[in-house]
This record gives sequence, structure tokens and C-alpha cells, in this order.
Amino acid sequence: MTRSAAIERVFLILIAAVIVAVPWLIPALFNPFWVSVIAEILIWSLFAASVNLLFGYVGLLSFGQALYFGFGMYGVAIGIADLGLPFWPAFALGIVAAMTMALVTGIFAVRLTWHYFAIITVVFSLIFYFLALTNKWLTGGDDGINFTLPPTFQLGESQLSFTDPTFQYLFILATVALCFWLMHRLIGSPLGKALLAIRDNDVRASLIGLNVYRLRLIAFVLAGFLAGVAGALFSFFGRYASASYMFYHVSGEAVVWTIVGGAGTLLGPIVGTSIFIFVREVVSSQWEHHELVVGLVAILVVIFAPRGLVGLWRDWIAALIERAPRAKGPLQVEPTSKP
Amino acid sequence: MSEPVLRIEGLTKRFGGLTAVDNLSYTLAGGRLHAIIGPNGAGKTTLFNLVSGLLAPDEGRIFFCEREISGLKPHEISRLGIKRTLQIKSVFPRLTAAENLWVTAQAENRFLHPFRAAARDRAIAERVDRTLERIGLTHLAERQAGALSYGDVALLEIGMTLISEPRLLLLDEPTCGMSPAETERAVENIRALAKTIDIVIIEHDMEVVFEIAADITVMAQGAILASGSSQEIAADERVREAYLGRPEDEDYVEEVAHA
Repeated sequence: MTRSAAIERVFLILIAAVIVAVPWLIPALFNPFWVSVIAEILIWSLFAASVNLLFGYVGLLSFGQALYFGFGMYGVAIGIADLGLPFWPAFALGIVAAMTMALVTGIFAVRLTWHYFAIITVVFSLIFYFLALTNKWLTGGDDGINFTLPPTFQLGESQLSFTDPTFQYLFILATVALCFWLMHRLIGSPLGKALLAIRDNDVRASLIGLNVYRLRLIAFVLAGFLAGVAGALFSFFGRYASASYMFYHVSGEAVVWTIVGGAGTLLGPIVGTSIFIFVREVVSSQWEHHELVVGLVAILVVIFAPRGLVGLWRDWIAALIERAPRAKGPLQVEPTSKP
Repeated sequence: MSEPVLRIEGLTKRFGGLTAVDNLSYTLAGGRLHAIIGPNGAGKTTLFNLVSGLLAPDEGRIFFCEREISGLKPHEISRLGIKRTLQIKSVFPRLTAAENLWVTAQAENRFLHPFRAAARDRAIAERVDRTLERIGLTHLAERQAGALSYGDVALLEIGMTLISEPRLLLLDEPTCGMSPAETERAVENIRALAKTIDIVIIEHDMEVVFEIAADITVMAQGAILASGSSQEIAADERVREAYLGRPEDEDYVEEVAHA
């Protein structure tokens, strides 16, 4: 492990410790309100991770991930409100609905790349947004569906449910952490390497024997899984589902969070999402045009840190280590241009 | 030779008004290093693209060991054992040299494990190490492919075709852009390979072609102009004309190809 990776690891452990301690730390120091803001950041980070899986690791820019987020939400809400399902089956329904939708739309979408892919993902999400908006009998339209939360765990008389804010926070944290861990495993796996190869050069990937279409479809369904889990969690968190979360504006936000945080890095989406939601929560109470700040940050990052904030941070650490005099340094790779 | 390695029947490919490959028939007996030469725009690379599945033919059929491969997808053809390099060197720039080889070695597995750590596969790791040694890039294993010199990228690309143990190797101008020393090394590599693998090579460097190829096929304007041993080709009048005859013709063909 390089020294910069070691520094990063120490840093991450510290941050992880703080995040776990949030339900006790934050109410003591600030205001309990911030606990739910952080829970929300975790959920939206997972949603951004689904954009990142496609864009940062497969090279497909999706502007339609909100569709699968929405299906995750509605799977839970319809499961509980209409079908009377308990917590876990409703959770499963949300995830399965999102993945099924990703499979069905992906069959068409991953035949395309670049802007054509971006456009078709927007089109799919718009179609289902308007369908959800108009079919009020099923979705509740703009008002959405409200439901009463079933308990998550029940043992005789005692039960654990999202009505306990600490449990709610820790459940969301554990689920999000599990998904990020799975994504980490995926990136280092044979399947993950094949996806990276397709991102880098899809013609060469097909010539070495990779079924590019099928691998892209698999990645698309896995991204649908991440978005679906995020949507299902958000549904439990808000106790409702609404068509407005399927709008492409929601997808676009996740794209910005991912790019600002650092596409192609595991934790980039968390960094990007945290910054933007904090800015929104802090600035929006003072100034109604808080989106200007969001836009400004996005533009600055794209210009000055094309690899996102995580990339900037890594360059910075690498430069710091480089400057410190030491016996043997890591080989500095100079990119050479082609003749 | 009992059955030909590659048999092409009446292959035609048109791009709009231009016929890049024109009713071409060709049989590769196998066992000898074969070169395809010809002026720019003769259709050599298009022929490779048709054989490897990147393009679909308009007419004609292609057989690999008497199995029809025309109409198959590139990855299906690749899995049968036909590997190729591209004229413009093509690797995975953001992966390291070792990862490039790694991903190529495991590409043929039907099932790619989604969660096990890739680095744990010892058998593939060994193949990667052996291949790195063979192409002389061991010292650059951990460097990103995008940061390698052009000659090293070309070597890496050849390594990527080798690690998958091909049956037929299509090399599209393998020494293009290499320094004399790198060319020499590549030629040596190709010669050694030809002992075990059937190789078809497209090459512009006549010195290289006559040095390594036993059989030479000359293409011009999408068709085969001449075919024979290197001595026969060197003495052929029509070949001289195609190359030296009227250079403005060559420019014209090139213009059409890029139109």
C-alpha cells in the first residue's frame, strides 16, 4: 500500500467513526434535526453511487436513474399501503421492482452509448414520470402515497422500527454501508475489471472476447439495484412515495453530485452529495437562490478538478508526500504523449 | 494440409459508393506466416474487420477451420481463437499494463465472478507474469497503459493477443510507429510465434514483410492482385506497378477511402 493510500485509510476510519456516532454526537453538540439530514445524505449518496457505477466504471452517463429510485419508493409504498406487506417483503418488492425496470429499459438503452444513451435514459424516466403522475389510482400522482410504517424487527412484545430515530439512522447507515461494500467488492472482481475494460475501450473489449452488450446490461441492472435500495430506504424514511422523485431533475442532481465528488472513485458520490445537501440546508434558510451556489461550485470543480474533489484530494496528498524528503518514493508516472 | 485455417468466399463490403472489398476469395492453408500487402485503401484493414466481426459483410462467407464465422459477433469470433491487433494501437488506457493482460486472460470465462477479489486468481496471475516477461514489459507492469510509449503499447497489444492462446493471429501493421530497435524486437517475437500459431500480418514496411513472411498476398482496390512466395511477389510486374506505377492513383484511392 502506498503512503497516500495509508493516509486515506486512516482518514476514512476517523470519518466512519464519526458517522456511526452521529445519533449521539449531533443532538448533544448541535440539533437533532441534523441527524435526519445526514441520514438523507447517506440515502442520496447511494443513489449517486448508481450514477457513478455506470458513468465512472462502465462509461455510460445515465440521466434517468430517478426512474429506478422511484420504482424502489413505489415498490415499498404500494407494498405496504395497498398490499399490506410487512417491512422486509415491502423492501424486497421495491428492490425487485427497480431491478426489473432496469432490466426492461436496459435491454434497449445499453445498445446505445454516449449522448444517445443519456437521451434514451431521460426519455424512459420521463415516460414513467408522466405515467405515474396520471395514474392516480395506483400512485397517488403528485400527492403520492402515504403509509404507516410496519416494524422492522419484532420479537414478541418488543419491536424495532423507524419511529425510533436512532434505529432509523443506524439501519439506513448499515444498509448504505453494505451496498458500498458490495460495490467495492464488485470493482475489484473479475466482473468489475471487465466493466473497466469496456469503459476504457469497448472495441478492444469485444475483440478480447467480452460480450460488451451483456456486461453493460448487467451493470445497468446492478445500478438499478443501488438506485432501488436508495429509493426504498427513502420511502421508509419519508413514509411516503411520490411521482415527483421520478422526475429527471432528480437524476440530474445525482449526476452533478457524482461528477463534483469524483466519478470513478468509490467515495466520490458521498463527498459530492454531502457538500451539496449541506449547502442546500445551510444556504436555503438564508437565501432563496441557493441553487446559484450549487451551480457555481459545480462549474468551479469541473474546471479546476476534472477528476472531482476526491481526485483533487488525492493529487494534493500525493504532492505533499512528494515534497517531504524521504529515501524511496513511489515511481512518479509521467504521461507521455503519442508521437 | 487437410483443412484450411481460413477460407473466404466471394467477400464483398461496400461503404456507400466505395467497394472496399470486392468479391474476394482467399484461402489460408496454415502453417506459414502470411503477409498481406498493398497500397493505402486497398481494403486490407477492412478485410481484417470483416474476419474479426467488427464489420458485417454485404456478400460472401468466411470460414475458420471450416466453421462459418461470417455473421458472428466480435466476442464470439474472438472466443473461437481468432485474435487481432488494430492499426491504431488499442489497449485499455486507464488500466495498468498488468491489468490489461489480466482482463484479457479472463475475458473468455463465461462467468465473471462479481464479488471475489480478482487478484486472488493465481493461475491467471502466473500467465500475466509469463506474458509480461515474454514481451519484455515486466518492469512496466504497474504503469498505466495510457502512460506507456507507443512502442510499448504495441508490445502490450501483442501480449494481449498472446495471453489468450490464439489459434489465428491477425496483426495489423504491428511495427507501425516503432523505433528500429523496437521493430527488430517485434519481428523476432512474431517469428517465434509463427512456429506455433498461424499468423496473418498486414504490413507496410517491405523490409519487415520480406524478412518474415513466407507467403505474400498483394491487395489492390479491394481485390487480390497477386499471391505467392516472397520471391515470386518481388519479381511480379503488376505488383511493382501497383506500388510504384502512378503515385497520384494512390492518393486518389486514399481520398476516396476517407471521403
